[in-house]
Amino acid sequence: MTLQRTAPSRPTWRQRVRDPGWGVIFVLPMLVLFVIFRFVPSLGAIGMSFTDYRLSGDFSFIGAENYSRLIEDDLFFESLRVTLLYAVMYVPLTLVVSLGTASMLHHVIRGRGLFRGLLFLPYVTSFVMAGIIWIWIYDSDGLVNGALERIGLGPLAFLSGNQAMVLGSLAVVSVWKSFGYSMLILLAGLKNIPEDVMEAATLDGAGAWAKFRRITMPLLRPVVFFVVVIETIVAFQVFDTIYVMTGGGPARASYGLVYMLYDQGFKFFDFGYAATIGVMLFLVVLLISLVQRYVLDRENT
Amino acid sequence: MTTLTAPPATATSSPPPTRRRRRRSGANAWLTVLLILASVFTVVPFIAVFVLAITPEGAPTIPQQVPDEVTFDNLSAVLSASSFLRWTLNSFVYSIVSVVVILLTAAMAGYAFARKRFPGSNVLMWSFLATLMVPVQATLIPMFVLVSKLEGVNTFWGLIVPTLANSQAVFLMRQFIKGLPDDLFDAAKIDGAGEWTVFWRLVLPLTKPVLATLGIFVFLWHWNDFLWPLVIAQTDEMRTLTVGLSTLNAETVTRARLMASAAISVIPCLVIFGVLQRYLVNSIATTGLKG
Repeated sequence: MTLQRTAPSRPTWRQRVRDPGWGVIFVLPMLVLFVIFRFVPSLGAIGMSFTDYRLSGDFSFIGAENYSRLIEDDLFFESLRVTLLYAVMYVPLTLVVSLGTASMLHHVIRGRGLFRGLLFLPYVTSFVMAGIIWIWIYDSDGLVNGALERIGLGPLAFLSGNQAMVLGSLAVVSVWKSFGYSMLILLAGLKNIPEDVMEAATLDGAGAWAKFRRITMPLLRPVVFFVVVIETIVAFQVFDTIYVMTGGGPARASYGLVYMLYDQGFKFFDFGYAATIGVMLFLVVLLISLVQRYVLDRENT
Repeated sequence: MTTLTAPPATATSSPPPTRRRRRRSGANAWLTVLLILASVFTVVPFIAVFVLAITPEGAPTIPQQVPDEVTFDNLSAVLSASSFLRWTLNSFVYSIVSVVVILLTAAMAGYAFARKRFPGSNVLMWSFLATLMVPVQATLIPMFVLVSKLEGVNTFWGLIVPTLANSQAVFLMRQFIKGLPDDLFDAAKIDGAGEWTVFWRLVLPLTKPVLATLGIFVFLWHWNDFLWPLVIAQTDEMRTLTVGLSTLNAETVTRARLMASAAISVIPCLVIFGVLQRYLVNSIATTGLKG
């Protein structure tokens, strides 16, 4: 994907700078927005992480103090652990649900459009809305505990129990709200698998499971990988559901990385420190993308 | 960065050969049952919101029993609370202004990147794409400081303008415009059309389908956006619906009232979904746009 085009008589760089032409004019509005609201804040985050910026706007440069504080901050490592634990629950769950529903949609003919629509429905709502509904669903007199009561179980403390329970409950809400996207991407991938390969396998007497393992999975691998990377990045940015449903609790059991950033910034107004957490978040996302690059490159060679 | 690399899909739904129908039907019945269960999982919470919203306050309701009394008091109470309408209005302003400005500026930038050569266009396109790697949460603090320095806290511009720099939109427009036939642009040039004429009369009409897709997504992104409005809209009258709902949730509002608010706030999205479902679903498969 390169923009380089070779023209027979290319104007020199000097000429092009002197007469930037219409290209610059068309790109200018978006460029201004990007410079002010993407590039400046990106550099600003790094700059602020070396200051003790407070709400008042007073600050002085303190070197790498925020970073050394971060490394000694148990809360930071706890929030990393929480986020990682959440991702470990969310990513496989969303992959299983979206791959499962996509495969089912791929094979079912009658009512496919209807099912596809119904399964995709939660995607158009907000996490705030999802959080509010699911607080009730998880509540002691809510939907799930109501059902459990019928069969003589519960009530379970979904949002106030132990850490695994709370993070698992939050992961389920996020899966409910957003698996529709991955489902559609996987469904598109399934449709791209050539029909004749499947036909040949069927003629050779391959069962459904063998076909799934030997043909579907290898051919779908790039798409599955794409979904895993996207969803991992999404998992590390979890905030809305935590804010609405648990407020980071109980006892910081769901105190994720972005929630810590928000908490340090807008509860304690420790902007310099919060910006440092932002830089860390960026590094984590960068790491995930680099791993993706590495794996893709290795597969292509 | 990865968000745009979804493999494109060609939607082909060929009916299966009839000879396999019978053998498949048993498995198909099971799959249908599973799909019904999955649909129950996605749809029941919505039904529950609406049931709870029309149950009288404090009256027994699901899951214990189906409410035997229906009331619209909760819904009308929510609608007559002035702040709720104000939040709805704010959400509409936030979403619709963003849609209009992003579509226009992204189409312009996409056109420039696809069809014009100018100094630094390569570097610029790549720097736009590189910003996809920086999560918005990572730049939340400097963005807030910047906007508050410019006195944009609790203003519409402070809410809207910083969210308009959208590289996914630019990239999508660039890819689409690149794919348009060169002949059209050559013909327009020969006819002596000016740059603006080409943009308004050629580029915009030809990109209508992709503009529509992008418009729906931008609307949903902004309508459902939470973190930025949360930090920038600090007064009650500047809140968007998502932020307003979260404050209702934190306050001691009765459950019936909260659910009534949630029910009303989800209606615009359900309308969009109802009208454009097929379209929305197909465009995710072909563009890989991610909310």
